[in-house]
Amino acid sequence: MMAHIELQNVSRAFGKEQERVLAVDGVSLTIEKGEIRCLVGESGCGKSTTGKMIAGLLPPSGGRILFDGKPIDRLNKEEYRAYRHAVQIIHQDPYASLNPVQTVKQIITTPLLRHRKVSGSQQAYRRALELLEIVDLTPAADFLDKYPHQLSGGQRQRVSVARALTVDPKFIVADEAVSMVDVSIRVSLLNMLMRLKNEFDVTFLFITHDLALAKYFAWEGAISVMYLGRVVEDGPTPRVITDPRHPYTQALLAAVPEADPELTHRKRRIALRSADIPSLLNLPPGCTFHPRCPYFVEGECDVSAPPLEAISEGGRVACPVRKDEHVSLLIPS
Amino acid sequence: MSQADDAFVHHESIFEKPPLSLRNVHIMYKSRKGAVNAVRGVDLDLRAGESLSLIGESGSGKTTLGLGIVRLLVKTAKVTQGEIIYRRDGLEMDVGQLDAQQLREFRWRECSMVFQSALNSFNPVLRIWNQMYDTAKAHGWSDRRAVREHVLNLLRFVQLDAERVIDAYPHELSGGMRQRVLIAMSLLLDPQVLILDEPTTALDILTQRTIIDLLRRLKDEQRLTMLFISHDLAIAAELADRIATMYAGKIVEIGSADDIFYRPRHPYTLGLIRAVPKVIGEFEDLVSILGSPPDLVDLPSGCKFHPRCPFATERCRREEPDLEQVGQDHAAACWHWQAVEEEVADHPLHQSLPAQTIVYSGE
Repeated sequence: MMAHIELQNVSRAFGKEQERVLAVDGVSLTIEKGEIRCLVGESGCGKSTTGKMIAGLLPPSGGRILFDGKPIDRLNKEEYRAYRHAVQIIHQDPYASLNPVQTVKQIITTPLLRHRKVSGSQQAYRRALELLEIVDLTPAADFLDKYPHQLSGGQRQRVSVARALTVDPKFIVADEAVSMVDVSIRVSLLNMLMRLKNEFDVTFLFITHDLALAKYFAWEGAISVMYLGRVVEDGPTPRVITDPRHPYTQALLAAVPEADPELTHRKRRIALRSADIPSLLNLPPGCTFHPRCPYFVEGECDVSAPPLEAISEGGRVACPVRKDEHVSLLIPS
Repeated sequence: MSQADDAFVHHESIFEKPPLSLRNVHIMYKSRKGAVNAVRGVDLDLRAGESLSLIGESGSGKTTLGLGIVRLLVKTAKVTQGEIIYRRDGLEMDVGQLDAQQLREFRWRECSMVFQSALNSFNPVLRIWNQMYDTAKAHGWSDRRAVREHVLNLLRFVQLDAERVIDAYPHELSGGMRQRVLIAMSLLLDPQVLILDEPTTALDILTQRTIIDLLRRLKDEQRLTMLFISHDLAIAAELADRIATMYAGKIVEIGSADDIFYRPRHPYTLGLIRAVPKVIGEFEDLVSILGSPPDLVDLPSGCKFHPRCPFATERCRREEPDLEQVGQDHAAACWHWQAVEEEVADHPLHQSLPAQTIVYSGE
């Protein structure tokens, strides 16, 4: 089967000369139709940049992105338009991503009319109501005349989703889409997104720094872990979460505090050799995690960047030293 | 008075009185939409040497309460009622009555506060050393050499490269380093109480871990009395001895960390716990709390949580419950806490910890 989205050795640099940083460095990954893929990592790892490139908001500076098998820089005008409609992005900050002087009705009907998804304002109105109901803003009629400032963060984020749905997307890039929403309503937003996947067959790229959210949302999908612009590990979510192999993935999973006192105090600490993340301006040679890695092997890890290699339990790991080693993240009680 | 009560009083007098006691504290903001009831009658004792965590969503009043304690509220906000009592060495003062000079002393020597946004807490044109020294001088400590030695020790305690960081400007430090400097700074005048508002929010996972471990050392080694304000239940699980849940400006439940996480009696606490995913272990279903946080200008009648509460009845719409004893050192403000107890018994909150399916393969 042809991948829905495929990244072939994609890179993205910012800045010039000495100031030049490689935010994304040779990322290759495929996302199948109907899949949920999570991109996790800390700030600066390139996950958002990757999401923006997939959504067509940023051109890669190297490599190729294929949409349904076709490189997006080779699409003709009609195909490009279809691609840009098919792939929608939902941003982190619902306070900044909605036009403050437009009502919810305008926010939703404008793209409907602009892209001829409906004929006439009467139909646009009805479709807007439908879309609001799909994102659980009910009764929908109560929301149409509201301005963004009259809505809570969670409600705004639902409006962003409804707006994305106006163009019948096939693929949604959700970039930290629930990070700014209160804990008590986060789950209902995630469940709503999951329903879109099931009912409308939308494929998701879910970008987050929160591993617990990634686990919850993508349990049936896959996770890719990024560090300083590279994917260091990926695979089916249950495997990555319960049997992580890359020392960086292990360090992340071990470091996350858990909302359960007994559990959180039973987690193993993985002591890093350095607490500081290297600057993208001055990346270490070889594996970029080597200055912090507790399993560092001199003469190996600091020489050449390790490739992602498949492991039999599923997925790929960019660490020849540790890829076949299991580590338990819990201290036996 | 019964014999048991006698024993209780006797006990109290041996142990230190709480360094900080809030009595029926109300805080109100003025806004264009009307008066905002941010804190509505909070009673709380912060016990000597404990770390207490205030949890709740945005708008629950937890940050306002923290700012109220050190009297750093914005001009539009006011403590309209109640008392904030501070104690040290058998002496007692009402924080609300302090004049400007006394308040300055209070904020650094007695009760210091670490804020959420580390960069805004620094003067950008001063080196860390100058900032620290200014503070020490303002509090009558002008022996330059002694102060510098003390500052270096504090920076080492927070695991920074002290010699380098002391002469750095704030912008030269990473977010995690700045947060550590702030914590060091808050300890400069050896306060009795430390208030930390979202101390690890906005930090990356690995950086967050270093701060959590540092705070843990402060708690275990220095026996500092700490009040954590956080929306993140996991931080509370990591660091708190006791936890207070806030909703719509009131404490709706308070108890030991174990009581709150394993035996919650308020539906809101229960809802929060069920809404938060864990990383370790198998997949768990999560449940959201219905509706949205309340409008503080126009609060619902009765129990402020009733519009979102699956246990709500007519009584909840009419009468607001007060905190009621639901266990030893555990109180909840809910008419139906017994129903919550049954619910928790029927549907346990946390999956049993995963068995050791994976063989641990050495360090």
